[in-house]
Amino acid sequence: MNQDLAFAPISELSRRLRNGDISAPQLVDLFAERIDRYGETSKAFISLDLQRARARADAVNPDEELALNGIPYSCKDLFDVAGLATTGGSKVLEDNIAVSDADAVQAMNRAGAIYLGKNNLHEFAYGATGENTLYGTTPNPYDHSRLAGGSSSGSAAAVGFGLCAAALGTDTGGSVRAPAALCGLVGFKPTFGRVSTAGVIPYSWTLDHVGTLTRTAGDAATVFNALLPGQREIAEVNLEDQIIGIPQGFFFERCDGEILDGIDALMNFLRDAGASLKPVTMPSMETTRTVSLTVQMPEALSFHNRYLEQRGHLYSQEFRAGLALGQCLLAEQYIRAKRFIETYRRDLDQVFSEVDVILTPATPVIAPQIGAVEVSVDGVSEPAGNAITRYTSFFNMTGHPAITLPCGMHSEGLPFAAQLVGKHYGDEQLLDLTTQIESGFDFELPLPDLD
Amino acid sequence: MKKLDRQTLLGIRDQLGSYAWEDAEIDELVDPKLGIITGFQELLEQLEDLRKIDLGSIPPAGDIPIK
Repeated sequence: MNQDLAFAPISELSRRLRNGDISAPQLVDLFAERIDRYGETSKAFISLDLQRARARADAVNPDEELALNGIPYSCKDLFDVAGLATTGGSKVLEDNIAVSDADAVQAMNRAGAIYLGKNNLHEFAYGATGENTLYGTTPNPYDHSRLAGGSSSGSAAAVGFGLCAAALGTDTGGSVRAPAALCGLVGFKPTFGRVSTAGVIPYSWTLDHVGTLTRTAGDAATVFNALLPGQREIAEVNLEDQIIGIPQGFFFERCDGEILDGIDALMNFLRDAGASLKPVTMPSMETTRTVSLTVQMPEALSFHNRYLEQRGHLYSQEFRAGLALGQCLLAEQYIRAKRFIETYRRDLDQVFSEVDVILTPATPVIAPQIGAVEVSVDGVSEPAGNAITRYTSFFNMTGHPAITLPCGMHSEGLPFAAQLVGKHYGDEQLLDLTTQIESGFDFELPLPDLD
Repeated sequence: MKKLDRQTLLGIRDQLGSYAWEDAEIDELVDPKLGIITGFQELLEQLEDLRKIDLGSIPPAGDIPIK
């Protein structure tokens, strides 16, 4: 079978399934064979459920009108799937068998999607590099010496290596959008609370979002529609009606020059298409990472407290240190941080009274080397995980929907992306606009050379 | 702000903590050597700066209301 089909968008796969060019069992077999071939290299999967996937594929009626009829997908190993272990990428939960499906998994299955397996991740989503001592560090499909990024590293690799058509992840500081950007995929984080997190192991209740990793923005819209009740078609957007906010300062500072050039090219396209680009002043970003960390770690500790007594020794040293930090913060500091988050939300809402969307680079760097502790841009070094999520984490605090869209290839052979941020509950409009940009902007991502 | 003290954190662990953290984990917070936690002292200093900002009656963030 044509291996390029493994990199086709959902829209193309759905068309071929409906036309009878390919059957659902053939599609599952295509991905299963590729998992067999690239599973070890990619370290994308922690567990597989191919027997049930084949049974579900056999039962697919190609004429049924379902958004994801016969489309194979995977999910980060934080999502419950009945009868299978939800490990969180940790030894701590290796025997944690779920009794029911997570809400998001139920929705995907209802839409006809076929679940293939659970994806690797940074242990319990604590970290953006995707390094995992137990299940291995997930490489980037475009350069296996580089990181896929995390924490939804395996979800990005699964789509990026052509092992499934789409994947679910979670995004607490950029854990869907950043790995998607580094691997040449579209990463979408909806408005906070819009997609249920029930049945997903939490990291930080205040910041966690369920998100999607897909090949195209149109696919992101299709999967998002499947996750919510009711269906809608992608609407055409007139770019001439759009006012696009361009933040000053922080979001364009200490950023790789080639990424900035790529964002410039995208801005020129938008301008030529008639959109208005308007400089906007964002809230101060100076202490936003402090605020985020002050909320994350006590919340993570509060959840993991249930396992610490019996299984504390099974956590990685890295995660234990983070939890210990959470122990040493004061309640007043936690509450104050949550009040700052409320001010960020209000301040950003104010910005959105002037613009329809905000455009930034998705990441300031391309995928770092595996094992790199720090990365340096403009002579300033910072931890690799901080750099990867520098432009994404703020929008987890504000809860605005945000999507990353590949927009260029770096001279080092790795993709980079733009980030578009929409208004609260403006998810559909953001997806429509991104789909429109994707179809008009002159950039075609080359397929990764996996061999 | 007084610099973070090992004894303070050991006291939190022993009297208020929900878990018996190892000494090495407490030491890492006071004097990071493993590169796992960086800048806990810096984090506390930034929190002290944030404490001085008057937030009026702004509440903690909750759900996002549909407008």
